[in-house]
Amino acid sequence: MGNILEIINLTKEYKGIKAVDGLSFEVKEGEILGLLGPNGSGKSTTINCILSLLTYQKGIIKIFGEDMEPNSYDIKEKIGVVFQDVAVFDELTVEENIDYFCGLYISNKDTRKRYVDEAIELVNLKEFKKFHPKQLSGGLLRRLNIACGIAHKPKLIFLDEPTVAVDPQSRNSILDGIKRLNKDGATIIYTTHYMEEVEILCNRIIILDKGKILASGTSAELKALANIEEKVTVEVESFSKNQLAEIRKFTTVEEAEYKDNNLTVIYKKGKNNLDKLLDFLKKENVHYNSIFAERPTLNDVFLELTGKDLRD
Amino acid sequence: MFLHNFKYTFKTLFKNKSLIFWTFAFPIILGTLFHMAFSDIESSEKLHTIKIAIIGDSITEEKKHYDTFLSSITITEEEKLFEINYTDEKVAKKLLDDGDIKAIVDLSDKTKITVKTSGIEETIISQILNDFQKKEFMITTLLENKVKDENFDYANIDSIYQQLALEVSNSNYLNIEDTSQKSMSYTVIEFYTLIAMACLYGGTLGLTAINKGLANMSSLGKRTSVSPTRKIKIVISSALASFIISLIGLALLFLYTIFVLKVDYGTDITSVIILACIGSFAGLTFGIAIASVLKTSEITKTGIMISVTMLGCFLSGMMGITMKYIVDKNIPILNMINPANMITDGFYSLYYYETRERFYYNIISLLIFSLIMILLSVNSLRRQRYDSI
Repeated sequence: MGNILEIINLTKEYKGIKAVDGLSFEVKEGEILGLLGPNGSGKSTTINCILSLLTYQKGIIKIFGEDMEPNSYDIKEKIGVVFQDVAVFDELTVEENIDYFCGLYISNKDTRKRYVDEAIELVNLKEFKKFHPKQLSGGLLRRLNIACGIAHKPKLIFLDEPTVAVDPQSRNSILDGIKRLNKDGATIIYTTHYMEEVEILCNRIIILDKGKILASGTSAELKALANIEEKVTVEVESFSKNQLAEIRKFTTVEEAEYKDNNLTVIYKKGKNNLDKLLDFLKKENVHYNSIFAERPTLNDVFLELTGKDLRD
Repeated sequence: MFLHNFKYTFKTLFKNKSLIFWTFAFPIILGTLFHMAFSDIESSEKLHTIKIAIIGDSITEEKKHYDTFLSSITITEEEKLFEINYTDEKVAKKLLDDGDIKAIVDLSDKTKITVKTSGIEETIISQILNDFQKKEFMITTLLENKVKDENFDYANIDSIYQQLALEVSNSNYLNIEDTSQKSMSYTVIEFYTLIAMACLYGGTLGLTAINKGLANMSSLGKRTSVSPTRKIKIVISSALASFIISLIGLALLFLYTIFVLKVDYGTDITSVIILACIGSFAGLTFGIAIASVLKTSEITKTGIMISVTMLGCFLSGMMGITMKYIVDKNIPILNMINPANMITDGFYSLYYYETRERFYYNIISLLIFSLIMILLSVNSLRRQRYDSI
């Protein structure tokens, strides 16, 4: 599969701050690439630079093998964008909104009509097609926002946090729709804060912070980068400070804490961690109600890479 | 793509209740309020036909010229000042009591006027007859003095008398011109500013339409900008849709004010329409300039547009004609750059002046204003990438 998008050394500065700092990556045809990053990490700025909406100081952006410029209408014809903010006309119905945005790409009326109907079906808005946006719930509105961005059947789709503030049912519907788009041949660049979405959808993930790539790879590859092996949680009635100190002395233990009747032990790399812990509890005559072990999640990797400090 | 965007811009603007209120309903409501407030003042200031009665028996051969004189006085070519009812004294009194006539004229020995109340119309008839009597007396005295002359031609005394009487009366009364109808009235100037306001409010349509096409101004603009449709197509088709809606609003306002409120915009309606169209175009370019130059929310931009328009209309005389004169006298530059004043003054010149210099001056001023607005807009509209959005 060839590269559909290629970014080389992209740098964007605004008011002395580097929003994107020498970013380079590529997206292969048929891929779903997840762009992960905390607020202000440069995800949306990167997308806006790729789409030629923002100026940038350095870098090369190639889409379908050609340089992307504001006047690259041939390239724009094959791109679909779903922005983070819902961008629809309140005065138009669901169907009219999709027809309007589709009409900016497709001039043939019959083709457009077919595409609009297919987009409505894809996002499950058939029964709402005569509704106005103000009559729709948050989830339905997000689905309309997506339909407006993809109705013209683009080959490359940018989805910028399309599931923000939607209910689980709508989210599932949106994710199913994205999978179908990919199955039908669209390459997708997907930004989100929701790790489980990335794990479900993306073939490859890039973690961004401060305009730079911190890590990239498949979900499994990223998890392998984590400095932890597993997290064990044990529900116990009581646990003394001395006992906690003993556990912390274990060579493979990264961190241990007792809170709200739960003993949580995080292990670094190592084997037979659970056996050793159970032996210790038996020796100390500590009775436990439940015990479970987790492998590191993408969220753990994300927090480890980007830090736990609060962002704006 | 051009027609596609034109169609949907037209639809979205027409369905935007707030915009339609400001461009369609508000001027009509304001016009109705003006009409209610000023129509009584206007009506009372105009001269109308006065109904009087002349006691038929009293029109003797010597007093026949009184009757000729009263029935000859006109307000306009079609309208006479007096509608005379020739009747007897009893019927005349009944008519006066019932309010069907304003005065009874008795031309017996000594001319007598009977009125029931005192008002403008009663004063007019009294004044005219008194004046006529004085002049008659003056002529009679002059003739009597001439008669004393030894060389006076006695054979023609009657014709000389009649001619003198007619000349004197002709020079003063026979063609009374109601100048109040031609002078600048309260209502007309208010309606000129109202039309100016409607023209400029059309700019809010352009503002909204263009704002939705610019990536640095709205989310819709971002979506439009990433499409393969050229920006110039979006801008021109959106502006055209806005302009047409603005003209529809103006047409409705004209129809309403002319046919319902009976506002007289003068005889040259073609020039009035041309001026309104150019004024509307100026309003549109003003709205586009605000949309493309100011980087703030659409609500704030609309607020600025409406406030500036209202201020311009106020300065050009919307809340009182005195303001226009004050600005003209003290800060003339303000009226020179005020598009509302250019429109108002253009209407004013069409109505009031025989020549067209001032009308053309205002048309050219509006076109220069529009050109400046377009140049301001182009600088922002030609940008395709932004530093931040």
